[in-house]
Amino acid sequence: MRFQDVEIRKLSETTWEIPRGNGMRVPGLIFASEKMMGEILGDEAIRQVMNVAHLPGILKYSIGMPDIHWGYGFPIGGVAAMDAREGVVSPGGVGYDINCGVRLLRSELTVDALRPKLRELVSALHREVPSGVGSTGFIRLTPQDEEKVLTEGSRWAASRGLASAEDIACTESGGKLPGADPGAVSAVAKKRGRDQLGTLGSGNHFLEIDEVAEVFDQEAARAFGLFPGQATVLIHSGSRGLGYQVCDDYLVTMADYMRRNAIVLPDRQLACAHIRSPEGKRYLSALSAAANYAFANRQILAHQARETFLRFLGKGPSDLGMRLVYDCGHNNAKFEEHEVDGEKRSVLVHRKGATRCFPAGNAEIPESYGHVGQPVLIPGDMGTASYVLAGSLEAMRVSFGSTCHGAGRMMSRTKARGSMRGKSVIREMENRGVIVACASQKTLAEEIPDAYKDVSEVVGVVHDAGIAKRVARLRPVAVVKG
Amino acid sequence: MEVRGEDLPGLFSSCVLALFSLLVDRRTVREAEARSAEVTGDTVEEQFFFLLREAFQLFAAHTFLARTAHVTIEGKRVMLTVTGEPLDSSRHTVLREIKAVTAHAMVVERSPGGFLARFVVDV
Repeated sequence: MRFQDVEIRKLSETTWEIPRGNGMRVPGLIFASEKMMGEILGDEAIRQVMNVAHLPGILKYSIGMPDIHWGYGFPIGGVAAMDAREGVVSPGGVGYDINCGVRLLRSELTVDALRPKLRELVSALHREVPSGVGSTGFIRLTPQDEEKVLTEGSRWAASRGLASAEDIACTESGGKLPGADPGAVSAVAKKRGRDQLGTLGSGNHFLEIDEVAEVFDQEAARAFGLFPGQATVLIHSGSRGLGYQVCDDYLVTMADYMRRNAIVLPDRQLACAHIRSPEGKRYLSALSAAANYAFANRQILAHQARETFLRFLGKGPSDLGMRLVYDCGHNNAKFEEHEVDGEKRSVLVHRKGATRCFPAGNAEIPESYGHVGQPVLIPGDMGTASYVLAGSLEAMRVSFGSTCHGAGRMMSRTKARGSMRGKSVIREMENRGVIVACASQKTLAEEIPDAYKDVSEVVGVVHDAGIAKRVARLRPVAVVKG
Repeated sequence: MEVRGEDLPGLFSSCVLALFSLLVDRRTVREAEARSAEVTGDTVEEQFFFLLREAFQLFAAHTFLARTAHVTIEGKRVMLTVTGEPLDSSRHTVLREIKAVTAHAMVVERSPGGFLARFVVDV
């Protein structure tokens, strides 16, 4: 298979290698089926994988997941691990929405039991969980509170009675990244974030009620508390305006750093600084702060959803049993230990549209999941399916403990909107058995199922490649969109 | 966004207005007060990028909406004055959530009859 002047080598049914050449420090590695590769070659994502391979300190491979598509500098669905001493950190390798991620709540209810009240429940969730452009949360942060959110993440929410100890234990990194420094976050970023804590946002962010439609791995599903027919809640959101601004601020800082240090890369959007430089350290401190904001944001959204269920259904917390399965980010850069050339090394893993996927036995996983691996949450489009996967040993070997993050956009927002002109997305979704409540019809049209790749195909590739194990398929029955 | 202008200050002014048109129906914005900003850049592209970032921050950080924009350029310095008013949710509907103005595929170039600029915002 060829991409422009480059011959791409098929390594297996699910892996492809882009040979090292033209200044690339490592080869590229793409996880995809042959059919998906055909689609991937249609945009500039492969070029972006090759560009990322030029970054100083990159190890083993510049990696693309099957949901890869064009992004800002780095592709979305990309993984790049940098040597912690010699390598660089790049805001474009994390993305604007720092620590954007997904959280799954399970319940003791079945969707069949909920169905008679589902429409009203969705309206209540739409009312109670702020969403849409310019929405503000029920929490008004003082500047002092906001600094605590930035340093404590979900633990700040716990201190306000908005999170349980179990919520914290079932959140990646315990809902708090170390090294966060609010002083590294600009005043503009803080201002953008102050009124947005506990808001979903717009675009592809959502709150969904799903039904566990199929279980593939009984043992893992049992460990995660999932059973067929069960009602679950999936929340997708991130660090809101605060994270966007942190990324924007540091892209400028890094561009200046590159100029001063004569770092030349094929794309200026790969702006970066050495991890150990003052600029690199400061960005990592700001990144951790924004990541903590995102953890707290999803925690508060989950709290609001839980409270709405309790009030609406008139049940007690133990009857409802709405407990957190897991919360994982898919836009981050984290220091981790990985084996490189037979040697344990400290590396900074950039995951932009990629999910951490640690295997059974890893110390970072909650104790109750220790024997099956980390839950990995893969949201699909709003009309088809989402998946719960589990971490695998193979991911540690080949993809720095990473796997895909979603279906991956296939159609631009403008094209998606155009394709729905004159049609009612809400009615089309109802025909599929999905109730939709939304703040903006325009945004909804941008998120139609046809705008995305087939999530089952994406998940099939990572399962077959061994970089995650399929555990359960979720079917959306109700969606709240911003 | 693709924008054309007769000269660079005119082009830059139109780009600022185009940016605000992505955020709100500008016809609903009153010219109640003026805000100013200044940026510097070594190249025209830098000046353009920093100007749009600064213009966007008027909204992102201060929820200020612009109805008119006026740009002057003196060497490396670019001065922006906008008139408008703070967001009033009873009269203004924000059309989309913009994360940032990006440098992706950003172009400022001469074109027949003046100048052309292209920029991409992340939504």
